[in-house]
Parts: sequence; C-alpha cells; structure tokens
Amino acid sequence: MSLDISFIGILIGSIMASSVPLILAASGELITERSGVLNLGVEGMMIIGAISGFALMVLTDNLFIAIVGSMLSGVIISLIFGFLTQSLLTNHVATGLALTIFGIGLSAMLGKNFVGIPGKEFPILFSSLRESIPLFGPILFGHSIVLYFAFALPFLTNYFLKKTKLGLVVRAVGDSPVSASNQGINVILVRYCCILYGGAMCGLAGAYLSLIYTPQWIENMTAGRGWIALALVVFATWSPIKVLIGALIFGGITILQLHMQAIGFRIPVQFLSALPYLMTIIVLVVISRDSRKIKLNTPTSLGRIFYKEK
Amino acid sequence: MATDLRISNISKIYPGCIANDNVSLQFKSGKIYALLGENGAGKSTLVKILSGVISPDNGEVFLNEKNLKLSSPLDAKKNKIGMVFQHFNLFETLSVFENLSIDATEDNKSLRLRINEILKKYNFSIDLDVPVLNLSAGQKQKVEIIRCLLRSPKVLIMDEPTSVLTEQETEELFISLKKFCDEGILIIYITHKLKEVLSLCDEVAVMRKGKVVSVSETQNERVETLANKMVGQKLAKIKKKINISKNKDEIFKVKHLNFYSDDPFETNLVNLNFSVKKGECLGIAGISGNGQNELFQILSGEIITPDTSIIFRNKEIAKLNPKQRREYLMAFSPEDRISQAAVPELKIYENVALNNFKSSNFFEKGLVNEKKIKEHSKKILSDFSVNTDNVELKSQFLSGGNLQKLILGRELITAPELLICYNPTWGLDVGAINYIHETLIKINDQEKSTILISTDTEELLKLSDRIAVIYKGKLSKIMPSEEVTPEKLGVLMGGGSID
Repeated sequence: MSLDISFIGILIGSIMASSVPLILAASGELITERSGVLNLGVEGMMIIGAISGFALMVLTDNLFIAIVGSMLSGVIISLIFGFLTQSLLTNHVATGLALTIFGIGLSAMLGKNFVGIPGKEFPILFSSLRESIPLFGPILFGHSIVLYFAFALPFLTNYFLKKTKLGLVVRAVGDSPVSASNQGINVILVRYCCILYGGAMCGLAGAYLSLIYTPQWIENMTAGRGWIALALVVFATWSPIKVLIGALIFGGITILQLHMQAIGFRIPVQFLSALPYLMTIIVLVVISRDSRKIKLNTPTSLGRIFYKEK
Repeated sequence: MATDLRISNISKIYPGCIANDNVSLQFKSGKIYALLGENGAGKSTLVKILSGVISPDNGEVFLNEKNLKLSSPLDAKKNKIGMVFQHFNLFETLSVFENLSIDATEDNKSLRLRINEILKKYNFSIDLDVPVLNLSAGQKQKVEIIRCLLRSPKVLIMDEPTSVLTEQETEELFISLKKFCDEGILIIYITHKLKEVLSLCDEVAVMRKGKVVSVSETQNERVETLANKMVGQKLAKIKKKINISKNKDEIFKVKHLNFYSDDPFETNLVNLNFSVKKGECLGIAGISGNGQNELFQILSGEIITPDTSIIFRNKEIAKLNPKQRREYLMAFSPEDRISQAAVPELKIYENVALNNFKSSNFFEKGLVNEKKIKEHSKKILSDFSVNTDNVELKSQFLSGGNLQKLILGRELITAPELLICYNPTWGLDVGAINYIHETLIKINDQEKSTILISTDTEELLKLSDRIAVIYKGKLSKIMPSEEVTPEKLGVLMGGGSID
C-alpha cells in the first residue's frame, strides 16, 4: 500500500511539472490580453525562449544566465510584436501568427548546432525532504525553483489585477483604451509593458522545457503548448486561478492517458491523445458558465487597434 | 476665488474641414455658459482642445491669465478643468469605485470617504461596488461628474449631457449644475437643444461652421432668434399646400396586412388597410413601439407576410424583396441611419453603390464601375447639399444630418414613385430638419408619393395630406390633415377614441 501512495505522489509531481510551461505562458498571455492586446505569437515566443535558454546554457555553462537570457529573448521577440501592433498599428491576429511562424523558423535555424548536445542537471530544491513524507513529499518538494514560481504566479497575477493600482490600470486599458487615454493614462506604454511581460513569461516557459523538463534541444519542442496556453486563457475567461486549474487538468490528463496507453487500455490511442484537449475545454466551459462574470472579465477592447487622436 | 477662462484665437484644421476657425471666447465663474451649435459646428472640437484630448493648430488658452499648455488630458486635470464627454469615458467592466480610483492620488479609504461626502452633498444615490455596466445612463453621468468633482475643478465642461437622459434625469442634472455654479465652478454647457439653453444658462455663444457667430445673454434671446443664429439664415416657416384632389389615382394599396410574432419585443399588426394617392403624403403617427418597425419592414419587403396584398402601380408586390421593390421604383429610408440605412465604415461612394438599381450600370460583368459610382455620388453630395464633396470620406465621419441627406439623396436620385421613410429627422438639428422637410415636400410637388412613419407629431402635421395613428398594431381611421389637431393625435396615440 505504501508503494501505491508514493506512486501517486510521484504521479502528481509529474503532472505538476508538465503543467508548468502552460501556467507560465498562459499567465503571461493573460496579462497581455487583459490590456486588450491579442498576441497569438505565444508558441513562437516559447520556442525562441527554449532555444536561447538552451544555447546560453551550453555557451556559458551558467543556468542563471540561461534562464534570464531566455526571458530576455522572449522580451525582444515580443518587442517586435509590440512595435508592429502598437506603434505601426498592424492587425493583432496577423502579426501574432507571423510571430509564431517566425519564431519556429528562427529557432530551428539557431538550434542547428545544438541538436544532440546533452543538457545540464537543473538544481532541485528541498530534495532531502522529498522522501520524508509519504504522499506529500514528492508533491511539495524536490522541484526546480521555476516550478514553485509558476505555481505562485496565478495567485500573484490575481492579486496584481484585483488589488493593485497598476492592475487596475491594465484592466482599464483593456476595457476602454479611449477612456483610459482621456483619463491621462499612457495606453501605448501600458500595452507595451504588458506585451513585453507576456514575452518574458513565454520565454521562461520555453526555457523550462529545454532546461528542466526535457533538458535538451529538439526542433519544434514546444509542440503546440503555446496554442494550448492561448486556449486556456480564453476558456478560463481571463481568470488566473482558472488558468491554473485548466493547466493542471491538461497536464494531468496528458500524463494519465500516457499511463493508460502503457497499461494497454482498449481505447483507441487517438482518442486518448485527444482526451486532454477535450477534457480541459469541457471542464473550463463548465466552471466558467456565469455569463455575468465572463462579461466582467473579458477585456472589451481585445484585439482592437488603438490610436490616439491628434 | 473667481475663475476666468479665456480662449484666444484657437484654430484646428482637419483635412477637408476647418473645425475651429479663430475662436475666441471668455468665461467667468458664477455663470453657466452655453456653447450652442448644429452638429458639426465645431463645439466638440473646441471642448476636446480645452480638455487636452487634441491639440489646436493655433491659439492659446488662459486660466486666470495663466497661459495653459494643454497637450494631454493630464494637463487639463492638473489645471482643474473637468470634462464630461457626450460618450462616457468610463470603464464598463470595472466597479464604480475602481473607475473613480484609477486616477486618484490618495489611498482607497480616504477616497471612499470623500466620494461618500459628495454623494451625500448632492443627493446622488449610486452603489460604489457594482460594475458600471449595470448603471443607467443618468447614473453613469453622475459617476463622470463625481470623477470631476473629486479633483475640485474650477471649470466643468459638459458635452451634450442630456442626449442620453430621461426627462427626470435631465431635471436632476440641471439642479446639480446650478448648485455647482453657486459654489463658484465655471460651467460650460455644450448643446444643440435650444430650450435647454434658455432654461439653464446665463450666457450663450453660438458657433457655426467653426466660428463663433454670436455671444449674448440668454434673457435677450428666444428659441427663434437662437435657431436663426445657429443656422445662419432666417429659417423659413415651412407649411405645405395640402393636396386634396380626390380623383387622383391610388398608386399604392395595402390590404389585409397582418403580422404575428412570438418575439415579445415585436408588435403584432392587425388587419391594416390603407392606400396612397399620387402626389400624396400619408402620415402614420404613433408612440414608438406600437408596430411602426414591423410596418416599415413589411412595406419595404424585409419581412414578407402571407395573405397580405400590396398593390403598387397596378402590380402585386407583396412577395417581392426590397431590391425587387426598388426596381418597381419604391425607395426606403429606415429609422436607424447607422445600422440599417448605411454602413458607417464604408466610404460615401461605396454606400451609394450599395443601393444598386438595375438601370444604374454601377456594376458591369461583375466588376465595380468605380468612376460611374463616384460621379453619381458627387451629384448626390451637391444636389442634397451634404457638407463635403469628398466621396472617399468614410460615412461615419458625416454628422447625422449630413448622413441623412446622403441617404435621402441616394434613394431619391432614382426618381422613385413612392418613398417610405421612418423618423427621417430623428436626432437632427434644426437646420437639417428644415432641409429634409423641404425635400419631402418637394417630392409631393413633383407628383410623387410618400409614406411618413414618424413619432414627431409636429412633423406629421406639417408634411402629411392625410394622417392615421397606429396604436398597439392597429391603425385608426385615416383623416385629412386639416381635420387633425395635435390634441386629437395625442388622444389617438394614447389609445383613446375621438368619435
């Protein structure tokens, strides 16, 4: 019996680990979208974060520089998006899609020389406590610092949006940029900041994949997680806590269906592979049915171009 | 302390239009000032300049002889100029308190205290913790006013504040404004409603085509004098010569018009029968929501009802769609200019092309004949004195009056035998209303017919040869308009009987 309990602990631990990139990317994108900007370039920013993190780790042999560098690379690539959509007033959707295509291509090119190089072990925290408590040990302890940060992030995001002045400003800009501008808020600046923050979080999400989750560089290794993160934000109706729930469900079912496939359940593999997508959407739709709340959380100006009257 | 606001030689030029042309004005606290003008006269541009939303090309603003540099809304706020826009600048999804706290410098606790003081002082009742989207228009406006009051303004500018208010809310607003005025706040009140100017304001500046044309005390003015100044010419009193020749042909005849709908927001129509003679205007009066919408849609062919017979120029057209009806020379002008009659995002000439009729040759072999459409549009713009000659302009930049002229022009240039219009002068200023009334009378003079569905009794009495009243989907007896008085119409519109 004790074996089963420790197995469950490890299983939950691995589910948590697999949801980290989704939580990070979705939390970042949530802030961006709350300011009224729809950045469909999440996948592209993640993959750029993944390759630059891994490349920096190989080149400098310093994980701290690698992590910070991956976030910076996310910032830089999202700056392209910000400049195009905010300063040149291009269409958000088209620009975001282009960013993803660009990111995937650029990462493949940059990553050519890094294929096949083994990664470095990422330090884990509280590893000694891991074995001390039967069920909760593997759940609570023995993870990377990025995982702890990722799980705190939705709560911090929620606090930021609901309780701080800056959060209020972000929501106001997303609700009505024209009103915000007339109130003397620098809408373009706020939106730039939100875009860059989203870029940093996506970069970090990518680095988590290439440095911690599967420490190596594989072309196209984000494998659609950016799109899932985008969908999570929408189906979680722009609520950070629901993003966390959605990411855990998605991660959980992904891991579980892998186990089910391994055990040899007589369910078509294709169906099992589709299960995480299906269940996540169903659960999120069910928990966010309150149409009044949806209306209050949805950034009214999402995806609309704002320009200042002169 | 007394406040003195002086605007000196302000100019603002947009491509194709001079919004403000050397405007100079002076305001002193203790009085309520009206800034009066038609739509498009430049009032809104001027107040946007005063509130720092846009910068003037030329000119200066002085507050107590201090030259203000208003390059952003923040500058206006810092200089204690408060502004309530016509379209509210509120964040719908945020709570009232959040809306008010967004630009506050103090902590939430003392802010809440101050807001409550203001609520009490002016007798406003607003729940601070509900989202703004749950508030009525009047309450939203109060939130805007509170936002200004929190910064203890010296100047408060109200841009067409009553356009969204009910009668009751308007009265409340006027009481508050008078209170603010007594407390030494300088109030500038922008409007195109003449009666409001006379009942509320002490002094009035009239603007026309970007210029200030008159400044005077309201006690020396009457509605007529102000209207004439606003329009720039003596408004001709329009009165139609009534067409009573009884032996004219019936050009349009409706029999057994019934409409039944499950939608609780629609009105059922019960057995309407009427006819229109050549060169006649048939007026249909009624309080809105008594079936006018449905009637208009059935007459225009948007809704097809079974068993109804509509004979137009001796042909049965009850089963035809709007386009086919147009080919038989009917024309339509719906109530909602923005969403039904025109597409605001399209350019003027594109909107003209929407109404493509067979003989127009706008489209050849599936291709757009742009040159022809543009020529045609230019003709409409000049024939119907729309205040631009730029057919490339997006229609959303036209004021309501100009848009309505464009729509009427588009409909009339095909020389229709019958024009059906629904509230054609809704929300327009006096000048535009006059123009449209003259146009409608001209149509009748040319032996063409009109059906005028309107909620404006004055308009109906002015233009119709015969009038009927629609009440809860039923049509009254059709009466010659010389037998109709406003009182009679009022009784019928309220569901009474006059026999």
